[in-house]
Amino acid sequence: MTDQAIRKTGPQDIGGEPAGPVDTTDHGMKHWERQANAFRSVVQMHKITCTDELRRAAEELGERYKDMQYFEITTSAMRTVLLEKGLFTEQELTAKMADIRARFNVPDEMESPIKKALKK
Amino acid sequence: MSSEASLRSTYTAAPVHRFNVGDKVAVKHANPPGHRRTPYYIRGRQGVIERICGAYPNPEELAYGFDGKPEKVLYRVRFLQTQVWPGYAGPANDIIEMEIFEHWLEPASQRGAPAR
Repeated sequence: MTDQAIRKTGPQDIGGEPAGPVDTTDHGMKHWERQANAFRSVVQMHKITCTDELRRAAEELGERYKDMQYFEITTSAMRTVLLEKGLFTEQELTAKMADIRARFNVPDEMESPIKKALKK
Repeated sequence: MSSEASLRSTYTAAPVHRFNVGDKVAVKHANPPGHRRTPYYIRGRQGVIERICGAYPNPEELAYGFDGKPEKVLYRVRFLQTQVWPGYAGPANDIIEMEIFEHWLEPASQRGAPAR
C-alpha cells in the first residue's frame, strides 16, 4: 500500500482551518428561514428524505458552499433532493416560485421570540 | 428525564462488534469518493475505543436514498490532540473524541499513521 495524501471530502470538511472569532450575536430568524425549518421538519417526518441525503446535496454545492448562508445551503439541498426524487419538476418549481413571490409580503426580519419575551 | 432514559434514547444495542472498549485502532487512510462521515484530518490517525455507541443505518448509503442496511456499528474513539495536529501547542494530554463507524476502523497494529 502506498502512502497517499488525504484530501478534504468537500467544502464542509474544514476542521483545523483558521476560523477567526465566532460571532455569537443572536440575529433572530428571517420569516423564510422559519418556513424552511418547518418545511424540512415535515418532509423528514414523512420520511421523504433524511439528514444524510440533505448533507450530501449540500456538500455537492462545492465552491458555492462557502459563499452561502446556512439556510441558503439547507434550502438548496432540499431543492436538489426533491427534484432528484421527482416530487416536482424544475418547471413546476419555477412557476410556483413566481406565483408565491407575487403574493409574498412579510417583514424581511423577525425578532427572536426569546429576546422579545425577555423585553416584556 | 433520568440519565438512564437519555441513554436509552441515544444508544442502541450492537451485540456484534469487531472492537471492544480500550482497543487501539487506526482510522483508514483512504480517499473514497462520495458522502463520507470521517473528516480528512482524522484519517490514518490512531486512537482508542472509548465506547460502543450502537448500530445505526449507514449514513454513507442513506445519503444516496438507500435504506442504510445492514446497520453499521458506531464507536466513540479517543485521540490525543498531539497525534492529530502536527505542532499542536496545547497540553500533551488534550484529547479529541470522534464517533466513527466500524468500516472506517482497523486494528492499530495493521498500519501505523503515515507522516504527512
